[in-house]
Amino acid sequence: MLGFGKQKQVTEYEADGESERVYHEIKQTLRVTGINLNFRTWAGYEKFFPAMWDAMRPLAETRAFETAADCVRAEAVRAADKLPRLENQSRAALGESQAYQLRAALDLYHYINPKLLVFTSAVKLALDGAQPERGGKASADVELIERGVPARMYPMEMVSSEPEEERIKELFEDIKQTLSLSSINSDYRTLALWPDYLSAGWKKLKPIVQGDEFKRASDNFRETVRKLAHTLPFPVPLSRERLEELGEDADEIATTTEKFERLLPSLIINIALFSLDWKTPETLVQSPFPARPRRNAVQGGAR
Amino acid sequence: MNWREFQSMQRVAELGDRFISYLDEGTGEPVILIHGIPGWGYLWHALTPALAKQNRVLAPDLLGFGYSDKSDCFDRSIARQAEMIDAWMGELRIERAHIVAHDIGGGVALRLATLFPHRVMHLCVMNTVCYDSWPIEAMLQFGHPETRRKLSAASAITMLKQALKQGFAKSPDDELLDSLLVPYTTEVGKLSLIRNAAALNTNLTTEITALLPKIEAPTLILWGEDDLFQLVKYGERLARDIPGAQLVRVKDARHFLMLDQPDEVAEHISAFLKGEQVETAHAG
Repeated sequence: MLGFGKQKQVTEYEADGESERVYHEIKQTLRVTGINLNFRTWAGYEKFFPAMWDAMRPLAETRAFETAADCVRAEAVRAADKLPRLENQSRAALGESQAYQLRAALDLYHYINPKLLVFTSAVKLALDGAQPERGGKASADVELIERGVPARMYPMEMVSSEPEEERIKELFEDIKQTLSLSSINSDYRTLALWPDYLSAGWKKLKPIVQGDEFKRASDNFRETVRKLAHTLPFPVPLSRERLEELGEDADEIATTTEKFERLLPSLIINIALFSLDWKTPETLVQSPFPARPRRNAVQGGAR
Repeated sequence: MNWREFQSMQRVAELGDRFISYLDEGTGEPVILIHGIPGWGYLWHALTPALAKQNRVLAPDLLGFGYSDKSDCFDRSIARQAEMIDAWMGELRIERAHIVAHDIGGGVALRLATLFPHRVMHLCVMNTVCYDSWPIEAMLQFGHPETRRKLSAASAITMLKQALKQGFAKSPDDELLDSLLVPYTTEVGKLSLIRNAAALNTNLTTEITALLPKIEAPTLILWGEDDLFQLVKYGERLARDIPGAQLVRVKDARHFLMLDQPDEVAEHISAFLKGEQVETAHAG
């Protein structure tokens, strides 16, 4: 079972002080409407969280980081494309507005999850005492991307992690048990807004994720991401020693981070599998929210 | 019809960077039903079948409400909502429509009738906000920025359910209240509703007061006469200010008159849209 640390998660509405500041920064820098489970869990470590963000932010706003995530996304689509299709028949029962919003929700996670994985791999690399091979570039030589949430991005709306509706509760339990999770991810909580769709989709997905082919795809994918994390332009000024100085449990944080790094590849492939029911692989390998260079964004008057 | 069935019938329209969800049922002259706060298109579920027998019934979720766009960084005022209805009608190629509206939806309707008069064939407002009748205290408190932190989504729903009960003549069942509030049970839904409440602005009705006597659309004012949120005296004032307007007081009804007395309200609206004289037994 993948437990995500001993600390309580910090939800967006509970966040205050430094956590609230960092949550806002994360949404602006990563260009996302909400705060995923990784960050909600890391935020439970009060001293670590802002220190980690301050160390990672310069990297997270670079074109190199965005491009690495784009590569991860494309790789996930190629991996998913080799697996059986979900062909979720329940999508036909969705109304026009429901289908529109579901597609938008899939785009949101298809965009942000690869960024989370690159981010997590870079944090893990730093906590392991390694640094990017090409790290150390002068910041003036590095292109930055625009800040702010893309205008049409779906809000990260999700049902409660402890839903009242019995069938959703059972579904979450099954997902957690099958994927060895202690907490249900934002992605499934969002898809549970359309419970018939998630239920039918999960029924198709479950045997796929339990198969060897999927495990091989996830493992290969994880290796690719680790290599990509090594190519990022800046070193990350974060270490176990630094965490100990801050009075945090470095081992527990490193373990939690490693668990996220193990979990995310399969989650990214799963979202790609859901998305393949709606879009072609050729469309899905492209970023749903391409980022403009920051300088052009400012000159163009973008928000 | 339960809320899930209603939701699955909703269509979608993109308006610039925003989208709205709406019901589109029946054929005939279009009738647009505009809900208030808190709520969404489902408010009209008891009236829709009767109205759709003779009309094309369209019930949008206002921006930031229900299953329309609930993201950040846009104006949710009734002024913006009226502009949205105008743009949406354009998108659907509907030149003119009958407008039936409730609560802040009535504020949107009054702005349409005064500022976009070419869009309005008949105007029917029910227990509408107008003049300085709003925002009510409960919504002012809900729209306070600190509400986001003080109330979880679950606590907010509990509080809103208690407040909503005051809007019914007879105690509504839990299922109905849950259905009216279901889009706001998530943290995103709660936050969106807080933003909607923060956008309530009495200036947007007081600034059109001088224009009310210029409304040319035939106007029916329905009022659940026992309403504690929007007092019937405001309906009386509207009936004086809008030329030819007819006020009908609905007995044994409070704010949510279309749910307290759905058959009577549907009959009044149907007769009005057909151009018939509305039963005036309780007319003011």
